[in-house]
Formats: sequence, C-alpha cells, structure tokens
Amino acid sequence: MRMVNLRAPYSARRVVLVLAVILALGFLLLPGQLQSGFQYIGNPLGWIISWPLQVVAGIHDRIADVWGRYVALQGVEEENQQLKRELDLLKEQNGQLREASVATERFSALLEFKKQALPTSVAAQVIGRDTGNWYKTIILNKGASDGLQSDQGVITPAGVVGRVVKTTASTAVVLLVTDPNNAIAGLIQRTRDEGIVEGTTQGQARLKYIPLLSNARPGDHVVTSGLVGGFPRGIPIGTIIRIDKEEEALFQSAELSPEIDPNRVEEVLVIQSPSIPNEGERLGVPKLKP
Amino acid sequence: MKALLYFVVIVGVVPIQSVLLPHISLWDVKPDLGFVAVCLVGLIAGELDGLLVGLALGWAMSLFSAQDLMSGAIMKGAVGFVAGLAGRQVVYLSPVVFVAGLLVVSCSAGLITPFVLKLSVQQDWWWAVWTIVLPQACLDAVLGGAIYWLMWNRLNIEQLMSESRM
Repeated sequence: MRMVNLRAPYSARRVVLVLAVILALGFLLLPGQLQSGFQYIGNPLGWIISWPLQVVAGIHDRIADVWGRYVALQGVEEENQQLKRELDLLKEQNGQLREASVATERFSALLEFKKQALPTSVAAQVIGRDTGNWYKTIILNKGASDGLQSDQGVITPAGVVGRVVKTTASTAVVLLVTDPNNAIAGLIQRTRDEGIVEGTTQGQARLKYIPLLSNARPGDHVVTSGLVGGFPRGIPIGTIIRIDKEEEALFQSAELSPEIDPNRVEEVLVIQSPSIPNEGERLGVPKLKP
Repeated sequence: MKALLYFVVIVGVVPIQSVLLPHISLWDVKPDLGFVAVCLVGLIAGELDGLLVGLALGWAMSLFSAQDLMSGAIMKGAVGFVAGLAGRQVVYLSPVVFVAGLLVVSCSAGLITPFVLKLSVQQDWWWAVWTIVLPQACLDAVLGGAIYWLMWNRLNIEQLMSESRM
C-alpha cells in the first residue's frame, strides 16, 4: 500500500469544510429542547423518505405474503386441527367471560363507579424497524398528520406494544415495551400492587418497585395502571415468570414475559385520548352532588 | 449530478435499513448501511462530502429511530469526515484494507455511542461492547467489504477518487 500526502491548496472548498465542522460542533452545544426544532425541520425530509419506505415495505409484505401462502404451507393441516381445538376451548371461555362481564357491569352500576370511556384510537401498520441497533422500535405508517404525537400509547388486542417517541408527517416511531429505555405504569391484576414496567436487555420486561409485602407470584398478569403514560387502565402487559427479592432491598421486582411478540407485530392501535382517572376517581371518592 | 446522487443515497438507504436489513440481522444486530455509505462517500469524494452527507444521512436515519437527531447526525458526519481524511492519505485501497478500516472505525464509533446516547443503566458499556459494538462492526465490515469489492471489480476506484476530489 503506497501512502501519499496530498496537500490541497487554500480554497473555497477548505473554507466551506471549516465552516461545516464548526457548524457540526455547534450542534453539539445546542440544548436538547432545540432539537424539537430540528425534528420539525426534518418533517419534509421524513415525508419524502416515507414514500420509498412504504414502497419497500409494500414489496416486502407482498413477498412475505406469497411465501406464507404458497411456500410455507407445511404442517398447515395439523395447525388447522389444533386451532379448531383451541377455538372450541376459547368459545367455552368466551361464554364464561360474558357471564362474568354481565356480572361486573351490574356490580359497577351498583357501586356507582364511573365507567371508563373507550379511548379514541388510530389503526396503523408496521412498516419498518429502528434504523440503528441501540433502541428497539417499530415504524408505523401513520404520523403527525393523522393526529399521532409523542407519548401516545400503542397496543394490539393482545396487549401493550409501546409508546410513540417521535413522529414525522406520515410516520411514527414506537419504542417497544421490551426496550430498557421504556417505562410504563403497571399493576398486578390479582394483588393490585402498582409498579413500573421497564424493558430488559434480554428482550423481556421487568416490573419494578413492587412492595415487599406483596404476595405476587409467577403466573400473575400485569396490566397498565392507567395513571401515567398514555394508556388506559387494564391493558395487558405481560405475565410474571419470576419474582426477584433481594435482601435488605426496599422493593421486590418481577420478570415478565410480554403479551406481545415485538418481532411479529404487524398492525397496531395508537391510543389518542386515554381516559386517565384523577386521584379522586382512583381512590373511589364519590363526587359531590350539586 | 453529485447532489442528486447523494439525495438518492440518503432517500434510498433509510427504507433498506429499516425494512430489509432486519432480516439479515444476527443476534438482533443488523449492519449499518448508512455507516458504510458515508465511509464510501468520504473515502471517494473527500472529507467535505463525507461530512455533509454524513450529517444529512445521520439526521434522516435518526428521524426513523428513537435516537436523538443531533447525536445521529454528528456521529455519521464525523465518520464521513474521518473517512475523507483517511482517503486523502491513501492512494491504493484494496478491499481487504477497506474491510480492516471499516472494522476499526465502526468499533471506534460504537464505543463512543453509549456515552453520547442517554441509555438505560441496564445498558452499560461492557454490555454494549459485546452485544452491539463488536457484532455490528463485523457485520459493517462484511457488508462494506462486499459493496467495495463489487465497486472495485467494476469501477476504477483510484480514478473515481481523483476525479471526485478535484
């Protein structure tokens, strides 16, 4: 390998280079709040990129569809039989749940609990994954022009997917519940103990800050508590698979198996207006009548 | 013409990176096509082009990631600038040397990234090195080496470098 030092003469190109380096270093000194301005400026670029992104995602889905329909058909008969058995079981469970639901409604009316309003939600498709390796996110085909904003909750019928962290005009980035940088207020359904659900580096989730006196155990379901974070109360997050209790610790924590498989999510609902109960409603304090 | 080519690169890399590359990920780590593209631009066209394309591509990629915009832009811009400086010092660059260079620069950039990003306490430096930095550097080197090898066989890289730096 020959090495040579090409000394370029002083030129306008060099001046531009110096200015560009100074500009780049200047960006580093900008406070975080100003970055939202760059996000806003980036909207047109994001809109332009969203077109090829959706085209590539469409081609990818078409190929995956053809593969799924015609190539990967081995074992379909066996799977069909198993699904029929599961369907029968679910029908039976559905009947029981209907009964339970009717009873719950009756009791709720008796106790004058305010019925939780169904939140407004927007359906969106997953069209991509994070462009880097440091965060676990998915990209949706709906954005700010569809009413999506940061911190809105994202769910599927199976449970919590994550929350919106960034939007362009026509796309949104969702930080998954399994990302260690995500935190969602959770509640153990059986014991009613509250905590914070964080993702783990192993792709699972962890419920932290469970009171030491809680009798939570593996198999308990964890749902959203509805206090903060853009989710209404009662959306499934995961199932406890292990309780960790350290000596002299003030709290215990629990490892969760998330209800959703982040790698298989295709369609989601973005919650636009969760009904977050105020402190009085949460504590069951009856409203004063005029 | 050059600006149009850079625009196509920026607009084309993001969909490929977010839709197609997750399918060739190993242990949930995928190569960074943007990093490879910026290295190639810096190496062939010089430090100014590398810096500007790196800033723009980093910014565009950050729009589709949870990473903050500035750190993404600055990291890619710095990589493009370093690639340009390296390209100025080297006249003949074989694919093997390019792969080794990519490995070193990708590792260096990856080692800095955990300090730049405000990551969770679970994601400490050692975790980052073993689970993201080293696998990604290897994948970047393989992908970059393959692209450079194709270019090396079909184009006169030395002529391209001297023409682009005029």
